[in-house]
Amino acid sequence: MRFLSPRTLAVALALPVLAACSDNNNNGTTSPDTVRTFNQVERLGNPLVSEVFFAKRDHGLHNSTAPATDVVNGFGDKIKAFTNAFNRGPTIANTLAAVLVPDMLLVYPNRDPKTARWLSWALAAGYGGRTLNDDVVDAGLTAIFGKLLDANATVVTGLTSDNISTSTRTYLTTFPYLEAAR
Amino acid sequence: MPLKFLSRRSVRALAVVTAGVAALVVAQRVYASDHQDTPETELNPRMDINDVYAFPGSSADRIALVVTTSSPIAGQSASFDPNLLYQIKIDNTGDAVEDLVFQVSFDAGVGAAQKYQIRGPIKPTMTGTKTMLEAGSAVLTGTVGSAAGSATGMQAFAGLRADPFVIDLEQFFNVIPDRRPSTGPLSVQNGPSASSFRTPGVDFLKPFNALAIAIELPKAMLQPSTAADAKFGVWSTISR
Repeated sequence: MRFLSPRTLAVALALPVLAACSDNNNNGTTSPDTVRTFNQVERLGNPLVSEVFFAKRDHGLHNSTAPATDVVNGFGDKIKAFTNAFNRGPTIANTLAAVLVPDMLLVYPNRDPKTARWLSWALAAGYGGRTLNDDVVDAGLTAIFGKLLDANATVVTGLTSDNISTSTRTYLTTFPYLEAAR
Repeated sequence: MPLKFLSRRSVRALAVVTAGVAALVVAQRVYASDHQDTPETELNPRMDINDVYAFPGSSADRIALVVTTSSPIAGQSASFDPNLLYQIKIDNTGDAVEDLVFQVSFDAGVGAAQKYQIRGPIKPTMTGTKTMLEAGSAVLTGTVGSAAGSATGMQAFAGLRADPFVIDLEQFFNVIPDRRPSTGPLSVQNGPSASSFRTPGVDFLKPFNALAIAIELPKAMLQPSTAADAKFGVWSTISR
């Protein structure tokens, strides 16, 4: 009969202990733990803020921080840097930074529900929020490359719309409002 | 002026190296407004928030909140990650700090075998980027793919739905190549760099699904003030 070396024996004895101490959430069989701290790894408020205005290298910063620090983290300056790169002028840059930072989807719930659409709270004293039917891509492109925010701005032909709209979809009129899976 | 954030040479070099492989790849993954925005979320698509919506609900006194996640769905068997905590956060005091949260968690399982639990709206113990599960809060439990709760109180849904976001994503990446994901078919140039969108555009995401969380409830549960200019901010997070 061979005897186990002290090192092998130590490893063998340690394995069950380590297994007993492991986090059972790592095996994917239970819902999140009720006592541990969770760390944020992803966030989203307004559409397009991170994806369009922020260089790829800054997406991680957006995901790992909270709206309360968006100003001090220079998110407004990042938006301005994007529009400045296309010579869109200070009026467009400052307006976009003002309405998108801190990055929260703003809702005015006591205003007319019929006025609900992305950024309507700023543009038309509306309900704001974001509806499924909102074409936020065209809204964003028009704000950046059109005259929406600055009547004196030049229009950049070919960049004010991606030429596709939500008319290609049929969202439900009742909860949960999203189309069934394809 | 082409809107280039990567040099044309570097994009071409990448395209040459990977085009042969990419041509063989079935488009199991797809990317949208905030889909796949970092390499980390590419590694775990279920950790990705695609879009957040907030709009009037079934009556004037109700509001619906919708979050879509995990756009790169590889078929109907996709499930929520039971190790992640999905949250919708509400700031109703104007300081950009969450005053209320919804916490959505999932058991293990696939499709209707997976259950969801929704806690909130509740004032969170911790604010900012660190979170604890509000274990003492009431829990609304449902089955993935089905609604739960009350149509006059709080109603919830979690499950696979068609991705609602509309964009000519392929052309977007030709206009702004810097925003490309690091992996998958859209990580390489498909067509020349562009300085404008194409006509007609392509509803690139229409064939694809996303994992969605929807909650509808009385708006007074999020902002009790009846003042005409009362407001609240909404954002969503995923934590692990």
